[in-house]
Amino acid sequence: MTATSNLRKAAEPALWLIGLLVVWELVVRLTGTPKYILPAPSIFLWTMIENAPQLAYQGALTTRLILYGFFAGAVPGVALGYLIARFRICQQLLYPIVVFIQGLPKITLAPLMLVWFGFADFPKILLTALITFFPVMVDSVAGFRSIDPRKYYLAKCTGASWLQTFFKIELPSAAPNIFSGLRISIVVAVTVVIVVEWLNSKNGLGYLVLRAMDSKDTPMIFATLVVGSLIGVALSWAVSAVERWAVPQRGPQGRH
Amino acid sequence: MAHNSAPTTASPTIGASIVAKGLTKVYGRGSDAFHALGPIDLDIKPGEFVSLIGPSGCGKSTTMLMVSGLEPITDGVVEVDGKPLTRPISEIGIVFQDHLLLDFRTAISNVMLQQEIRRLPRAEMKERAQALFAQLGLQGAEEKYPWQLSGGMRQRVSIARALVHDPSMLIMDEPFGALDAISRTQIRHDLEMLWLEKRKTVLFITHSIEEAVGLSDRVLVMSKSPGRIVEEIAIDLPRPRPAHLGEYPEFSVYAKRIYTIFEKLGIYKF
Repeated sequence: MTATSNLRKAAEPALWLIGLLVVWELVVRLTGTPKYILPAPSIFLWTMIENAPQLAYQGALTTRLILYGFFAGAVPGVALGYLIARFRICQQLLYPIVVFIQGLPKITLAPLMLVWFGFADFPKILLTALITFFPVMVDSVAGFRSIDPRKYYLAKCTGASWLQTFFKIELPSAAPNIFSGLRISIVVAVTVVIVVEWLNSKNGLGYLVLRAMDSKDTPMIFATLVVGSLIGVALSWAVSAVERWAVPQRGPQGRH
Repeated sequence: MAHNSAPTTASPTIGASIVAKGLTKVYGRGSDAFHALGPIDLDIKPGEFVSLIGPSGCGKSTTMLMVSGLEPITDGVVEVDGKPLTRPISEIGIVFQDHLLLDFRTAISNVMLQQEIRRLPRAEMKERAQALFAQLGLQGAEEKYPWQLSGGMRQRVSIARALVHDPSMLIMDEPFGALDAISRTQIRHDLEMLWLEKRKTVLFITHSIEEAVGLSDRVLVMSKSPGRIVEEIAIDLPRPRPAHLGEYPEFSVYAKRIYTIFEKLGIYKF
């Protein structure tokens, strides 16, 4: 891949986005739509600049919760995925519970979490972890199950220990599946944290959105959502970057 | 999983002896039991190249898995260098029918897996790996991933992986089965040259008469399932053997003997 074609790949969607914003701006101005219904991009982008320190601070708090929740969900997700894929007994004991919880609309557990764990960060992280856990676990099970059983002959005849087998053979073999779960989870985590911040918080982007809504400050709602979206894009990009670094390409056509 | 014993050293070793007595494999129990193999006896001397040839499903691969300790033995014993085998032995190199390379590692890094797992000195092993790559015609393939290599090259990498830690025996399960005839002839020669230099004990499993006669000191011919050894043929041909084995009139005599056994066993019906 050449540098120019990379630049082109990045420039095309950016130009398209700018074009959309220009059309938006024109439509709002020509129709004279009031800004509390639909602010023009120039208005909410200006709001963003005016409130940059606050947005950055609250955004950082939200990002921190997203990352805690994401890791707290992803690590057990991989671990449990491994146990379920490798040990029949784990599958028999855990899978029914997993299927049951998976069917539950987990965001509705938020009030329960608050009753149980109060108003600190812990219930928010726990709920985020619970929701990010499932995509990672399901994809990890698929990843660990897809390992050619004969690869274990290789492990045995080199005298590999359990840990060596896991880190040198099993985990890297399952990595493409695990990363597809992680890519889903990180985006879900952004939504979950913001929603949980609505319920109770004196901090974070969710709190900002709610406060802006109370004062009918629609440009501020848009500004906050843009920040939330930027965080989501940055985090998914980070997950993909880690994947590119950690998982070598396995075939001639793209990844996997 | 069995606990790993003291790390295997990479010091030059001579070939090990492999002895099997009454080796038998039965899968399942009771009325579902399937008698897959044996009883068979093996007596492979240090540094000897022995082939096991037989029809598909005769238990060749099962034999290989039991001799390397990867599959439990139903009955009988396997002794490597006089010591009974109780767990997977790591002093061996195995080349499987399918190359079993890890697709997320480059060719050289697949070979270096041995070094990492056995915790052998890195620089020395890297040198050995590179030397093996040169001997096996793999120069320039070091940093390629398995999907970037041809079938023959993948199998060469897997041979390098089986030899890099200098094991005392090499077990090969139809290693060239998936290759085209031209690559097969070349890789047969390269393997023979490598063996002449290193003199490991080799147990070579195949269903190709040409490969068995072309490579071995001794060919053991197996019957259909449950596999038994029906004949032992010492191959007395000079080495290294040529690409076209027909140059030796004795070759067709040996080949003919094996064909005759296969016809007698009903494997070939002409």
